Amino acid sequence: MTSVRSRLLAKSYIDTWFLLIMTGALLVAFRIVQPSWLNGQTVQNLVIQNTPLALVAMAMTFAIISRHIDLSPGSMVALSGGVIGLVYTSQGSLPLAIVAGLGTALGAGLLNGFLVAGLGLNAVMVTLAAYIWARGLAVGANAGNPIDVGSGLGNVVNASWGGFTLTAPVVVVAYLLGWLLLARTKMGRYTYAMGGDPIAARRAGIDTALYTTAIFLLMGTMIGVSAIITVGQLGSAQATAGLGLELDAIIAVVIGGTRLSGGEGNVGRTALGVVFLSILNGGLLNLGLTDSYFQLYRGLALLAVLSVQIVVRRATDEEERRKREQEQLSAALAAE
Amino acid sequence: MSAEATTIEARVSTDRALMVDRIRHLAETLGIIAIAGALVLAFGLTSSHFLDSANVRNIFVQISVVGVAAIGETLVMLAGGLDLSVGSVVLLSEVICADLTATHHLPLSVALIAALAAAGGIGALNGVLVAVVGIEPILATLGTLLVAAGLAKLILGLRYLQVDHPIFTDLAVTNVLFNLPIMVAVMLGLYLVVAFTMRATPFGRAVYAIGGNRRAARLSGLSLVGITMGVYVIAGVLAGVAGFLNVAQIGLVSQNDGMGMEFQAIIAALVGGLSVTSGGVGRVERTLLGALMVGMMTNYQTIKGIDPPFQQAFLGGLLLAAVVADRALRGRQ
Repeated sequence: MTSVRSRLLAKSYIDTWFLLIMTGALLVAFRIVQPSWLNGQTVQNLVIQNTPLALVAMAMTFAIISRHIDLSPGSMVALSGGVIGLVYTSQGSLPLAIVAGLGTALGAGLLNGFLVAGLGLNAVMVTLAAYIWARGLAVGANAGNPIDVGSGLGNVVNASWGGFTLTAPVVVVAYLLGWLLLARTKMGRYTYAMGGDPIAARRAGIDTALYTTAIFLLMGTMIGVSAIITVGQLGSAQATAGLGLELDAIIAVVIGGTRLSGGEGNVGRTALGVVFLSILNGGLLNLGLTDSYFQLYRGLALLAVLSVQIVVRRATDEEERRKREQEQLSAALAAE
Repeated sequence: MSAEATTIEARVSTDRALMVDRIRHLAETLGIIAIAGALVLAFGLTSSHFLDSANVRNIFVQISVVGVAAIGETLVMLAGGLDLSVGSVVLLSEVICADLTATHHLPLSVALIAALAAAGGIGALNGVLVAVVGIEPILATLGTLLVAAGLAKLILGLRYLQVDHPIFTDLAVTNVLFNLPIMVAVMLGLYLVVAFTMRATPFGRAVYAIGGNRRAARLSGLSLVGITMGVYVIAGVLAGVAGFLNVAQIGLVSQNDGMGMEFQAIIAALVGGLSVTSGGVGRVERTLLGALMVGMMTNYQTIKGIDPPFQQAFLGGLLLAAVVADRALRGRQ
């Protein structure tokens, strides 16, 4: 019993070790290329710049574990931000604007959840449609121009204590809550169950429609908070906000070792994935590369990490299998 | 004797199943044609310009680039994959073709071959990453999207390259089919060839087989690696051809060409009624209808003076409607 347990632990730690080594290698590489980059200021900047990524990736972990996916967060961050801007411009009330922005994000999450859970539609298709329509509305909201929201929200979001703004505790709290939700509650257990085998989960009496909708609402909440933070940081709602956020979040989750086939993964590893991706993006940006080299290096780095991850995983799987076969063989021999 | 009877019975029942299957596919295609017809009627009645022969020509010219890229995307999706690199490959092919002819003054044939080789190369890389290494298609092709776009922008820099070779002008201007230019004929020809390939060749059947049931396909001796590679290479090459058509249409190569075209191609395939939940279901020629419907919607909204961002929002709505309709017609899987 204990041997099974320790083996399971060892196996699930392989991905984590791998990711830590990759992150370390990345830091060393950037350190060599640009020694001045890595300092206290960098860490603060990375946290500030990657808060939306961190928040959305947390909710994305739930979506992917339950064998769904959400391609809409980037567009939804822009749309919710646009609503904040429009309501603020027309009503002049910041609290009302924030409520409207959160409401938009939650409403979109509810809509996606209903279409996926209620009608049983494919999440890729539903959220791909949302990715398109939400971006269209966000750009159309003010003909693509930024909508100014004054400095009120910025004063709160950008206020800093010891260099860290309000975003740092928001991210920490979100990950703590996400970890609690996934590891310690019924919803978390059902999330794994639905991803492991959706039909079996339904037959076991899990209200899959309810919990799937809950997952999309969790994503909606994170999108709403990200929208508020993004608008606050920039002082205006931008039509291009959150461009590519969804794909970054998916990459962070997958690099964290969670598989798109669902049923396994955890929030802590996603946090590591976010750290890795933030360092990769931030470090590359800092090199002052042109757009072309930035995309090229980023693409190559991601493909390299994903490939090595799979090779490592396959090797450990193979070892597992061999060990299991040997045990079965010795058990059979002992029985004889 | 009883064994013989059973065989005959079995053969009759498989014949019947095949017949039912064929009728169902025909009915679905007819249904999509009917929806497209209804759109034509509705748009034609509410706009005096929509059915002008010049406007019909416009619609076909506008969809020909996405239409060609969508053929490859459809094959990839039929095989149970996804290709996000299509748009970048379109750009890469354009840039290589334009750079070799305009900057290095090489003959056009060399430039075209080099561009197609690069496009096919990115496709082959996709195939290796998905089939050999085993990365999820959405992530592997996202990586190659970045690599291909990076390479293309590296060559292009901040330039605009002008391409004024007579062949490109011919593609967009010379009419061959009623009043439709060569590029539209190229697109229709490619659909014909690929639709025939998918129906009548072992490769076509193998693509459906691995999209429908990967395990069964492998157990029955199909080469998953070979077929997956083939599908991604074809998608890459067709994206390269789409790049040529785009050059012909615009006459200029710039940084943002092909951006987001992968999503337009996916939408064309989905509106045309491809089932993506399972793979292995769908018809290439229906993607043409999907591209045509999207093209008509865009064109009609432009005539009516709707801003492009809101056109995009409608397009998202259309995609959602297509997915809901697909579910309503086919039922829960």
